[in-house]
Amino acid sequence: MERPERLIVDGRRLDGRRPDELRPLQIKAGVLKRADGSAYVELGKNKVLVAVYGPKEMHPRHLQQSDVAVLRCRYNMAPFSVEERKRPGPDRRSIEISKVVREALEPVLFLHLYPRAAIDVFIEILQADAGTRTTGITAAAVALADAGIPMRDLVAGISVGKADGTVLLDLMKEEDQWGEADMPIAVMPRRKLVTLLQMDGNFTPDEFRQALDLAFKGIERVYEAQKRALREKYVPASEEER
Amino acid sequence: MIKTGTFVVPGVFLSTVEEFMPGEGAYEENGKVYSSCAGLVLVDLRTRRISVFPAAAPPILKRGDTIIGEVEEVTPQRADVSIEILHGHEGRELPPPRVGTIHVSHTSKSYVRDATKKFRVGDVVRARVLNVGRELVQLSTEGEDLGVIFTKCSRCSTPLEVENQRTGKLKCPICEKVEFRKLARDYRKGVLWGE
Repeated sequence: MERPERLIVDGRRLDGRRPDELRPLQIKAGVLKRADGSAYVELGKNKVLVAVYGPKEMHPRHLQQSDVAVLRCRYNMAPFSVEERKRPGPDRRSIEISKVVREALEPVLFLHLYPRAAIDVFIEILQADAGTRTTGITAAAVALADAGIPMRDLVAGISVGKADGTVLLDLMKEEDQWGEADMPIAVMPRRKLVTLLQMDGNFTPDEFRQALDLAFKGIERVYEAQKRALREKYVPASEEER
Repeated sequence: MIKTGTFVVPGVFLSTVEEFMPGEGAYEENGKVYSSCAGLVLVDLRTRRISVFPAAAPPILKRGDTIIGEVEEVTPQRADVSIEILHGHEGRELPPPRVGTIHVSHTSKSYVRDATKKFRVGDVVRARVLNVGRELVQLSTEGEDLGVIFTKCSRCSTPLEVENQRTGKLKCPICEKVEFRKLARDYRKGVLWGE
């Protein structure tokens, strides 16, 4: 693919969104029968499936923590998730993303309630179009809540960035590839605490503040969708009419 | 004030601690009570507690629960059991600690002098939870429905057959070895929880 001449035309992006607009977001909780908790998220062309297991006994035993549960995350991209076939299995990038996702989710869990246990989170990227780690976090939080694992808050993730000198919310692949900056953020939406913040590219301090504001606006939208997904699963349709 | 039956997600503010104490599915932080799971709120005005009931949650042992486990060690005083499944939560693994112990005095309604005469390592037992407050979960096999539901011959590993249900006498169909257990009424019926 070649770079389009301009990424933003008349204040509209390549897919017609304004700079502060999210791609269409759809979340479904409890999609897998055999997992203890699960969620499926579509954000534009991103498709992410998350399964949660546990708390269960930790194997191997030497990795048990006698006072807390251990959270284990695996971020994995399907070979067919990107344009060129991705070689299956963990690579440098997905190992790092697994680590930062774990650290983004850890602060909301009451891990001390389950000593010697393990909680497994499997994030499978079925289709990728920029912002998969934040989409994965959004889905993982819903899956953890679906599993009934005690949490302080949900976690919602979104990316912000810059293309053609404009600060943008929720980058798509073209903007990520040819833009000037990409900054994934994960936030505990009730407390407004940031649990993940990475950046690739350059922002001026002003742009950074602008991007952060934009991200928090996006987080609100993501959080609303998460709440809706959990409610749909837990409240039967007949009760909702009242 | 939040009402009973409201749907909440984790982290939703429920009340202040001055009004209500956090019950199940809720926690307190800086004098405020929040929900810790996605589910429906129950406001108990009598005990002044707010709880949240999720559709699914990790199983927790409670007094009176029935479990199935495997005997790990037997001494004259007690039999240690690794708790494998909890009645009503068959589809989900129990979080650790998953060890329980059956004291001789809780083996059977009648007097038992030696627990090694009633259990053997490897037996599959159905038991009731007596106490989860202590370090080790206390279990009981008193009653007709509780006790060993499957066991193998200690000499040739053939599943044993009942000779006398009342005395708990078992006999190996291959090597004719005779053993004794605290039997559940439905020994080797392949039924998990009885009637």
